[in-house]
Amino acid sequence: MTRYVAQRLLLGVVQVLVVMTGMFFLTEALPGDAAVTIAGDNPDPAIIAALRDRLGLNEPAWHRLGDWLAAALHCDLGHSLIGPRSVADIVADAAAPTVLLAGLTVVLLIPLSLGLGLLAAHREGSRWDRLITGSTIGLYSAPEFAMGILVVTVFAVQLGWFPPTAVGTSLAGNPAVLVLPVFVLLLRPICSLSRLVRAGMIDAQRSDYVQHARRIGLSPVRIRLLHALPNALAPSVQQLARTVDWLVGGVIVVEAIFVVPGLGTTLAAAVAARDLPVVQGLAVLLAATTVLVNLLADIAARALAPAAEGVR
Amino acid sequence: MKTARGYLLPVTLFAVPLLLALIGPFFASGDTTKDVPFDANGRLGTDFVGRDVWNEVLLGGRSLILVAVAATICTYVVAVPIGLIAGMTRSRGLDEVLMRPLDLLLAVPSMLMLLLLVSIAPQSVWLLVGVVALINLPDVIRISRAAALSLSARPAVEAMRLQGESRIRIGLGYVARSMRRTLAADVGTRFTGATYLIASASFLGVGISPQASDWAAMVDRNRGGLFVQPWAVVVPALLLVMMAVGANLVFDRMLRGTAR
Repeated sequence: MTRYVAQRLLLGVVQVLVVMTGMFFLTEALPGDAAVTIAGDNPDPAIIAALRDRLGLNEPAWHRLGDWLAAALHCDLGHSLIGPRSVADIVADAAAPTVLLAGLTVVLLIPLSLGLGLLAAHREGSRWDRLITGSTIGLYSAPEFAMGILVVTVFAVQLGWFPPTAVGTSLAGNPAVLVLPVFVLLLRPICSLSRLVRAGMIDAQRSDYVQHARRIGLSPVRIRLLHALPNALAPSVQQLARTVDWLVGGVIVVEAIFVVPGLGTTLAAAVAARDLPVVQGLAVLLAATTVLVNLLADIAARALAPAAEGVR
Repeated sequence: MKTARGYLLPVTLFAVPLLLALIGPFFASGDTTKDVPFDANGRLGTDFVGRDVWNEVLLGGRSLILVAVAATICTYVVAVPIGLIAGMTRSRGLDEVLMRPLDLLLAVPSMLMLLLLVSIAPQSVWLLVGVVALINLPDVIRISRAAALSLSARPAVEAMRLQGESRIRIGLGYVARSMRRTLAADVGTRFTGATYLIASASFLGVGISPQASDWAAMVDRNRGGLFVQPWAVVVPALLLVMMAVGANLVFDRMLRGTAR
């Protein structure tokens, strides 16, 4: 186990480093650089050359990559090309709404998908099972923005139950604003997770050890929750980690629909304005989060079902 | 009879947007005269610049489908050979060299990768196709590797080897052919996944030209008129959701049909 954890940790560090290097060279390969962007409407070659000198852009690429990586380790991600603020400041300001949205989604996601999965697996082929399985298969890859806009049209515009956007309110102070975005964010991960829980439970209930537990007369509830469930959960834990991937995508889209000033809107704006330091900083942050969550999930899955060797 | 009825809803859900997307452009009028923006009169009213919404709906589905199909094909063309080699090779080193880079791809969230690569580089449809194919690559490589691995452990393959068949002939003639079913079962997931990514990117305004007629872009651009003229937003959004739900249900039914 210790060896596995060490190996996974090493892989995680390598992943983050490679992503950072990749980001650096991707922006390096683009036409123009920070000096040209800052010079903007005043593309005087002399000014650009002076800016390059001041920003250290004339040093060799690998040298600057080293500087950038070293600075990033100290949470210094450079300065925005537009406006006076540092990337770390911008990210810190935008993080709160996103963390609230994503965190709330994950907190609700786990009990909901467990409940739905267990309900569907309770009796295979029952009406509940067909209803849950059918809707989770169908809605699995419905784009969030389309679902989001339909939900807004029905519940905000027609029925007026919830506000259509988060404009002018703080998310934390007004829970009604959160209902629709979190609902939309939940849809996709719930579909995949509850299906995995269902499949895992059905498999586990057919397995030898559950048959044996039945024969020696353990209560069905005990068999289900104490014996079948932990084994059924191992694949779900890893899938839970992969939902981080979807949450990142979902958050970008959902923040755009509901006009939430979070990391997604910041990223979209920075990409549109070609504010590369901000884009780089956010990309590194999101990639590092993904790597970390996957790392934790792999270790947790390994602890839950040690027999499932080789599952990565 | 029961199976036919089971197909009715999924096929309808899938076929309506699909047909509209594919043959819609033939029925669209080339008349692009602009009217009053967000006018709710007429069939579906007008959009944010005063174009006829019904006409835009007819035009706006084709590119999404074509790009998704192209991306799915590209994924398989690249992924299956890699998976086949990794699964059949006896050299552990080669296997590692082919499979390790995939761990790195998984470290970048797919939407982030799409947003970065497509928006930073100069705009072209093929770039979008390539990036979506790249995002789907790791999963398909893993699936084909796993299939090739279990197939090449079969006695039939061992027998062919003993008979002196070359590895290429075994690979293409037996293993690749036997992989067909596993791969066919997976195509649906990749297609809906590709559609999801492309539509979401278009919604964010990435990889699409500002004048293009596109369902996902319609949702974004007409959002401002949601209170006055909801049709310009609701119709394309509904078509996209119908297509995703229908496609998933159809592919799932087909899969369960072949599994029996």
